[in-house]
Amino acid sequence: MKAVQRKMFYLFSPFLRIFHWIMVDAIIVMFVTGILIAKPPEINALEPAQSMLLVNIIRQIHFLAAFGFCASFVFRVYGFIINKGDRLFPRFWEGHFYSETVDVALHYMFLRKAHKSYLRNPLARMSYFGLYVLVLIEVLTGFAMYNMSEPNAIGGLMFGWVNTVLGGEMMTHIVHHFTAWAIVLFASGHLYMVTRAEFMEGESEVSSMFSGSKILAHDPLDAKELE
Amino acid sequence: MFISFVTIKGGKNVEKRETMWEAYLRRGFSRRTFLKGCVALTSLMGLSTDMLDKVVEAAETKPLPVVIWMHGHECTGCDESFIRSASPLASDLVLTNIALEYDHLLSAACGEPFEQHLEETVKKYYGQYILAVEGAVSTTNNGTYCMSGGKPFVDNLQHVAKGAAAIIAYGSCAAYGGIQAAKPNPTGSAGISHYVGTKQVINVPGCPPIPEVMTGVVMHVALFGKLPTLDSDGRPRQFYGNRIHDTCYRRPFFDAGMFADHFDDAGAKAGWCLYKLGCRGPETYNSCGNLRWWQGMSYPIQSGAPCIGCANANFWDSGACFSERLPKYGPLPDVDIIGAGLAAASVVGVAAHGALSVVQRHERDKAEAKENEGKEQVAGK
Ligand code: SF4
Ligand code: SF4
Repeated sequence: MKAVQRKMFYLFSPFLRIFHWIMVDAIIVMFVTGILIAKPPEINALEPAQSMLLVNIIRQIHFLAAFGFCASFVFRVYGFIINKGDRLFPRFWEGHFYSETVDVALHYMFLRKAHKSYLRNPLARMSYFGLYVLVLIEVLTGFAMYNMSEPNAIGGLMFGWVNTVLGGEMMTHIVHHFTAWAIVLFASGHLYMVTRAEFMEGESEVSSMFSGSKILAHDPLDAKELE
Repeated sequence: MFISFVTIKGGKNVEKRETMWEAYLRRGFSRRTFLKGCVALTSLMGLSTDMLDKVVEAAETKPLPVVIWMHGHECTGCDESFIRSASPLASDLVLTNIALEYDHLLSAACGEPFEQHLEETVKKYYGQYILAVEGAVSTTNNGTYCMSGGKPFVDNLQHVAKGAAAIIAYGSCAAYGGIQAAKPNPTGSAGISHYVGTKQVINVPGCPPIPEVMTGVVMHVALFGKLPTLDSDGRPRQFYGNRIHDTCYRRPFFDAGMFADHFDDAGAKAGWCLYKLGCRGPETYNSCGNLRWWQGMSYPIQSGAPCIGCANANFWDSGACFSERLPKYGPLPDVDIIGAGLAAASVVGVAAHGALSVVQRHERDKAEAKENEGKEQVAGK
């Protein structure tokens, strides 16, 4: 066995990492509470006065997590400003992005033995963009419902149009609920792909979200972008 | 938004019309009855009692507003609601509070003379009358699916709306198209607002609207000559400013997590929250929760029926069955079960992919090892 030479690439600022883990927690909390709100559990209280106001508390937790999540985007954007490694979106405007995405996709479909090495796996980046779209839908529909308890206040005026666009507030509830499931499906795929990349391909996808650095045995194609 | 359409002296071609006070006098009512009527109106319009003077003054001096009430693509259920208004009594309203010149349902006259009277009224009070519209417009095939007096309703509406000082859309049909606008909407039903030019329409949705809301809105316009405060959807804020859910007396049960699961279970009998039975209260803006129906006697939720959101645009295509919170698609279960199924499937898929990846990697390593061996041999020679 040859000794493997490894290089370290610093990619993710602490702000991005904090954001990432807040997002993970918030999504778990919001998914669980959201399902409970849509299908509340049975409580066998005899009087509202004797109950623990369960649904009310669940809703408050959901809202709290939602506000925390939205606020955490401050970290994400700040990281993007101060650190070259943090990037908000994939570089759609660069032609090689597409051929590289195909390269990775073919590998994952077992049509290619391996894909070239990238610091930022283009297919994964594409999926994160998809996640942001889903999150945006959740934020818009979420605030559209939340703020309509006072339709003529500023929040109602800012987000009320979402209900109109979707064809009614009930539709907003439904879209919000469906999108939540889409996010769960994304999460299950994401969890697998990063674990696979970390332990099978040696791509530090999991560890870099703790340490910020990727330690790679090969020279990634996009290493120059960090300079 | 002020509309100066009720003027006694100003208008050139306006004859002297009765005021509300004069109408009361003519009918032999006492001053006391008149004042009581004014008090009722004040509270109904959601004004503070400080405003009573203004209301009395308006009732004494403003001539009764001319109202033209048109019916379009609808079931006249809104009229059924309207005539059950208790404060003010619909009969009082029609006979002493407004000058109702044209109404398909309430007028004794009919036929050609009646249509002629409409023409005359439009000419005589051009720019001053209140137009109340019930029913949607039908637009497909030039609107021939809803004809009135031999003409498509949409044409009649456009004609009369031109001279209206204020337009009230009564009911979800006039406001949003109504049940006949449900997919696939064969008659091209739509709310009236796009067919009356640029005029602001007061939307009074509901299927039907609450009687007192109907009378309250027209009296507001009649007495003050201006529109009530409207929200961004053109609905009077006073009546449509809150969700049913936020005013519902069953809300404590919701917060406590006490729900009726079936229409015949103990929770339903005990009057617990109807959320799980598809109640649209959390999505609906109306006064059912605070004004209630039939002089505050009850409202659907109080009677054990979940709200269907009848005051919402598109409530007929709201996505899920009225008694359910989440839609189902044919034989498929709701999204929670589909989602959980997909998540389970993704776990299986991922496991399979992982296994295949292990195989692939193994092959790759083997191939690499062979290659290296080959190279070493070449180097060794
Ligand atoms: S019955 Fe309907 S409106 Fe009333 S609290 Fe329950 S969900 Fe809300
Ligand atoms: S409770 Fe809901 S469905 Fe019933 S009348 Fe009121 S708004 Fe309409």
